[in-house]
Amino acid sequence: MLDSFSQTIWLVPLYALIGALLALIWSPGVIRRTGPRPAGYINLLTTFLAFLHSILALREVWQQPAQDLRFPWLSAAGLEISFDLRISAISVGALALITGLNFLAGLFAVGYMEMDWGWARFYALMGVFEAGLCGLALCNSLFFSYVYLEILTLGTYLIVGFWFPQPLVVTGARDAFWTKRVGDLLLLMGVIALWPITGTWNYSDLAIWTNTWAKTVALDPFVINFVCLALVFGPLAKCAQFPFQLWLDEAMEGPIPASILRNSVVVATGSYVLIQLEPVLSLSPVSTFTMIVIGSITAMGASLIAIAQVDIKRALSYSVNAYMAFVFIAVGVGQNHAALLLILVHALAMSLLYMSAGCIISNNITQDITQLGGLWSRRPFPAIAFLVGAAALIALPPFGGFWGLLELTNQLWTTKPILVGVVLLVDCLTAFNLIRVFSLVFGGLPKQMTERSPEVLWAMVLPMMILTGFSFHLPLVLKQFNIIPSWANLNHSLALLLIVSSTLGSSLAAFLYLRKEQPKPIQLVPTPLRELLANDLYIQKIYRITIVALVGITSKITAWVDRYIVDGAVNLVGVGTLFGGQALKYSTTGQSQVYILSIVLGLVLIGVVFWLYFEPVLGF
Amino acid sequence: MQLQYVLLLAAALFCIGIYGLITSRNAVRVLMSIELLLNAVNLNLMGFSNFLDPAEIKGQVFAIFVITVAAAEAAVGLAIILAIYRNRNTIDMEQFNLLKW
Repeated sequence: MLDSFSQTIWLVPLYALIGALLALIWSPGVIRRTGPRPAGYINLLTTFLAFLHSILALREVWQQPAQDLRFPWLSAAGLEISFDLRISAISVGALALITGLNFLAGLFAVGYMEMDWGWARFYALMGVFEAGLCGLALCNSLFFSYVYLEILTLGTYLIVGFWFPQPLVVTGARDAFWTKRVGDLLLLMGVIALWPITGTWNYSDLAIWTNTWAKTVALDPFVINFVCLALVFGPLAKCAQFPFQLWLDEAMEGPIPASILRNSVVVATGSYVLIQLEPVLSLSPVSTFTMIVIGSITAMGASLIAIAQVDIKRALSYSVNAYMAFVFIAVGVGQNHAALLLILVHALAMSLLYMSAGCIISNNITQDITQLGGLWSRRPFPAIAFLVGAAALIALPPFGGFWGLLELTNQLWTTKPILVGVVLLVDCLTAFNLIRVFSLVFGGLPKQMTERSPEVLWAMVLPMMILTGFSFHLPLVLKQFNIIPSWANLNHSLALLLIVSSTLGSSLAAFLYLRKEQPKPIQLVPTPLRELLANDLYIQKIYRITIVALVGITSKITAWVDRYIVDGAVNLVGVGTLFGGQALKYSTTGQSQVYILSIVLGLVLIGVVFWLYFEPVLGF
Repeated sequence: MQLQYVLLLAAALFCIGIYGLITSRNAVRVLMSIELLLNAVNLNLMGFSNFLDPAEIKGQVFAIFVITVAAAEAAVGLAIILAIYRNRNTIDMEQFNLLKW
């Protein structure tokens, strides 16, 4: 009975699902009289239960070997699909992270969604997300990971399209769905192509296969490269990597509590699958190289783009792209441990940053950081939370981000020193961006939009401060669990480099944006370059003139062909028959002599046929 | 005198009858052409009867039947023409094209 919680860990996704279903009862069309608030409370309760269960289970599974559960799902001729669960410290830890962050985001939403009637829909979708994420975290089967990813794609569509009367929300939800869907479909190709090669979709079996069979059998490098590339491209779109990054920017149209969850956890779903696939991907040097290259491009591009943004949510969302790119680099060089650590610290830091941004947006209305300013003295809680979140994201000891990036660079230092440069540069740029946002929002003098800015409701401040506290404690927690190395074993020069890059970026931003003499707005780079970065490399236009135009023109041509050629051919048969009937009826002339003539002609014809047929036989 | 010549003559007569049947505008001439056809048939029957079946001459019996029936048919035909003429005041075959398309 000692591990009863870990044996029933599969209940955790169900709590969330039950919460989601119950929340729907308070839809405005069902319960018409008493308002939607109980939907949120029920969801918070189920989420808290799930969190409690995860924490208790985490105590049990810590330092224990991973256990596999297997339920048969489909058994057809020659195909056994089983619903595999893995109860390990990592998966249960992920559950605790997901449910904990979901609880805080839900509590935040109680405050943020105060003036909104859509609680039922919102909390139901948050519950679906939580259930999907927990399911994914526990899932030990590539096939069911794909199933969860698809469900989450649909969830993203619905939650980004939460306020659907707004036109930009509708286009953003559309792009989020399509972009992630394309990635999912590529992933599906990979998943299906993997089956004949390995004969299993179970991650543990895949790892065993990689270590034993793949070494002995000569795999066609062409095939394995393509399969691995397909497996990389699914997470690529999920994690909003270049060139699939537009959706995350547009997904900022959704409500902020959902952004908290999405930016911290949902984008990490792709990388979680990627981490579990790492043994397979390591078979293909092309795919690991692709991961490293795309990761590096995205990391540098997104952190530069982030600096050119004026929307606070978007300025933060590009850092999400950059940090997911770090995860790609980490998996590309085979460092699962660093990747998981990065996901953990990024999730906490990013949700803290988004909560802080949500607190500011909630009562200053505008999201434009050039119209915000001077909030430090009046809004200390969001300001401190933002600073802590920034410190936790960039490499600044003793916060979490430092350990994540140190873990990543430690291996790169000897194998791929160029990537260390990338990490340092991105760290510096991210630090610059975060402190730039901080200085513009909290520093300087109050502007028109921020002249009267009271602190927000307790329901928003409380989760933010809890998370701030946890961000402070994260290094201690990590140390307690022996996840991070002790100070003595560090690569000191590397640590120093990371600290220097973070300090350089943040102090430069603080110097530029907090100096009173500096004319605002600051022109750092030539206008065309700034425009290029502010418009996300014109990726929307690039989509529009390439893939969207291609699909659009093709579908127009196809529709035209269908309407005029295929339909036309079929209609032509009908028209031809009609015409034939109309034209041939004139053969009935009404002249009996013509009928006789036709009889005679028929007789002649029969005679000719008869003659031709019997002439050889009878020899006339 | 050979069977072939008789048959060829009958065939020629038949063709002339067909020609008249199809081209005549006068309905009576159409009936006359039909008589030509029947006579061509009779010639055939007589010819076959003479050359192939001189013992039992079944062809001649057939010919007698044909002549009989042809007379009856001509009578009915003339009656029909008369009936049409009473209604339409003409026996021009080209005027009798009411039952078309």
